[in-house]
Amino acid sequence: MTRPGPLILLVEDEAPMRRMLRATLRAHDYQVVEAGTLREGLAQAAGRNPDLTLLDLGLPDGDGLDLVRQIRRSARTPIIVISARGREHEKVSALDLGADDYLTKPFGVQELLARVRVALRHAARTESEDPVFESDGLRVDLEHRRVLREGQEVHLTPTEYKLLATMVRSSGKVLTHRQLLHEVWGANYEGQTHYLRVYLAQLRQKLERDSARPRVLLTEPGVGYRLRSPD
Amino acid sequence: MTSRRAYAATIAIMAAVTAPCLLWRSRLTTVDVAMVLLLGVVIVSARHPRGPALLASVLSIAAFDFLFVPPYYTFDVHDGAYLLTFAVMLVVALTMTRLTGQILEHAAEAEDRARRAAALAALNAELMEAERPAEVLATLERHVAEVAGGEVCTLTPRQLDADPAEWPPATRELLANTPERVVARQVYEDGRTAGLGTARCTDADVLVAPLASGRRLGVVVVRPEADRPPTPGEIATIEALAEHAAMAHERTVLAEQGSRARAEAEAERLRSSLLSSLSHDFRTPLATIEGAASGLLEEDGAVPPGERRELAGSILEESRRMTRLVANLLNMVRVETGALAVQKSWQPLEEVVGVALLRLEEQLARHSVEVDLPPHLPLVPVDELLIEQVFINLLENAARYTPAGTAVAVRAWETDGAVCVEVADGGPGIPAAEQELVFRKFYRAVRPRGDDAREAVAGSGLGLTIAQGIVSAHGGRMWVEPRPEGGAAFRFTLPLSGPAMPAPPAESASRVS
Repeated sequence: MTRPGPLILLVEDEAPMRRMLRATLRAHDYQVVEAGTLREGLAQAAGRNPDLTLLDLGLPDGDGLDLVRQIRRSARTPIIVISARGREHEKVSALDLGADDYLTKPFGVQELLARVRVALRHAARTESEDPVFESDGLRVDLEHRRVLREGQEVHLTPTEYKLLATMVRSSGKVLTHRQLLHEVWGANYEGQTHYLRVYLAQLRQKLERDSARPRVLLTEPGVGYRLRSPD
Repeated sequence: MTSRRAYAATIAIMAAVTAPCLLWRSRLTTVDVAMVLLLGVVIVSARHPRGPALLASVLSIAAFDFLFVPPYYTFDVHDGAYLLTFAVMLVVALTMTRLTGQILEHAAEAEDRARRAAALAALNAELMEAERPAEVLATLERHVAEVAGGEVCTLTPRQLDADPAEWPPATRELLANTPERVVARQVYEDGRTAGLGTARCTDADVLVAPLASGRRLGVVVVRPEADRPPTPGEIATIEALAEHAAMAHERTVLAEQGSRARAEAEAERLRSSLLSSLSHDFRTPLATIEGAASGLLEEDGAVPPGERRELAGSILEESRRMTRLVANLLNMVRVETGALAVQKSWQPLEEVVGVALLRLEEQLARHSVEVDLPPHLPLVPVDELLIEQVFINLLENAARYTPAGTAVAVRAWETDGAVCVEVADGGPGIPAAEQELVFRKFYRAVRPRGDDAREAVAGSGLGLTIAQGIVSAHGGRMWVEPRPEGGAAFRFTLPLSGPAMPAPPAESASRVS
């Protein structure tokens, strides 16, 4: 018998959806506790100490964002929110409140498992670690401040590098426009999304094989950006 | 000029013509003097007909007798022949007074008529543009105010019956008291102008004219500046304006009823085609999903593993199809009801195109997509999620209606004040007759070839309608044109005017890494 897998708190009011998620997660060796309401979710989060919370924002008895706030008050455990397409504001609010990632309904099993893995990996990593990122022919070495594409050194401006480094440290995870602007330009620039878009377009020109079909620097429409998980 | 000043001026003029005669009395004959005095009468009557002219006539004879007919400084007349002179002078003076008075009146009337014609022409020119009854009434109010000055309002029959508390403040102010309200009601009932400046209901401080053309549509209420009663000419003008406005009002009401009826018929047609489309487009995938899922649930072993995979695959495929259909229908409703909330921010088009291409990777697998965006294309103020949907719908359309192996090209360029985007395909093209139709709701082109089983899956017939609706909501335009080399080119414009965009902070040129 193997060691029991990470414990996932599943907060979802729709029974068929909950059943599907539970079956999928159990099939991949996760332990699952379930909650159908916000109150139950709050109680389970406090009592069971889950390694990760999977939270549907559309709950009948309250705002899912409250649960994000509540959990963040006491713990750093990862939270992945689930919401419908077209409710990007809600997702952005959850992410800015400290949720780690999101899934848009409907989503596939692969996507769900990838998000869970990335979130658990980031939670397990220590802060000081400066990883070497490698994916799709791109190599970023934060310790030596080197960026290579197909083995060729790429020259970046300081802002471009800072933006890329920020994304590398959260590779695989979505970062909202606000989070990136705050990190790279500072608190006063949180509303200036177009800076970010311009610099990201420049980064894609330098780092992607085809900047119109990015493979590494991915757009999360209406939410932010995501650096692909390392290979 | 007030009448007191007119009389004063008359006396002054008569004194002015009398003084030189008195000065040269010894050298002038009485006939000369009579002529000069009559000149004074002419001058006065040309400026002030009626009272002042009559006064001038009397003054001229009195002055003639008193100052110029011997014995001087008395009204006594020794020579009886002078009595005839007086009589002739009086007749001449009165005749001239009457004639000049008539000329003046005619001139004033002609001026009145010209002013009325001009006012009517101005009103009619504006009424031609008016499309809604409320616009007609507002236009009328403005023009009446120009004629009479002061304040103007119109009252519809509904307002006349309603509690004055529900009137607009301006109306409440004009019809603050009972006499005015009584006049308004009475004019509406009998269709004849009354109030200030007329012979009826003179205790009201407003003029009320009927607003009617065949049917009674309400009244116009005017309170002239400083309670000056409107002249008969102004009243006639106001009545004419009201009559013309009433005709225009009827026209707009009829037009509105007509367009409402058309819209209702269109909505009815839409509802029925929506229902038939829905029942077909939803039932087919649902039947597939139900069948496949029940197959998967059969006792183990009954369905071999290969088939199990296939069943699961069709469940997945059909659910995706339904997801797309639901999204399309929701978007259609948003476009139709004007509920599209466009949240613009400055975007590089490349990013929006990139997201659409990634999402359509599977559908476009058998086409080669070429993206050609100039490097210095400006950022465009768009709602990224909506414009992404436009690209998805256009690309999906290209994938669906052009044969596998053909190329699809996405291009963009800056034109004056806008960016023009093109999604061009290498398919059979769209016949000229269908180039407008393809944007219609539920319109599905007849497929040029049916050689592939996948091609039997038709679209919802909504994609292009939605795309066009989204582009319009951005202030742009979408159309399709044939490509010289064959195929169809869907083009749309996105205006570059939008929220201000501050430049990014400057960055030092030094390089890292």
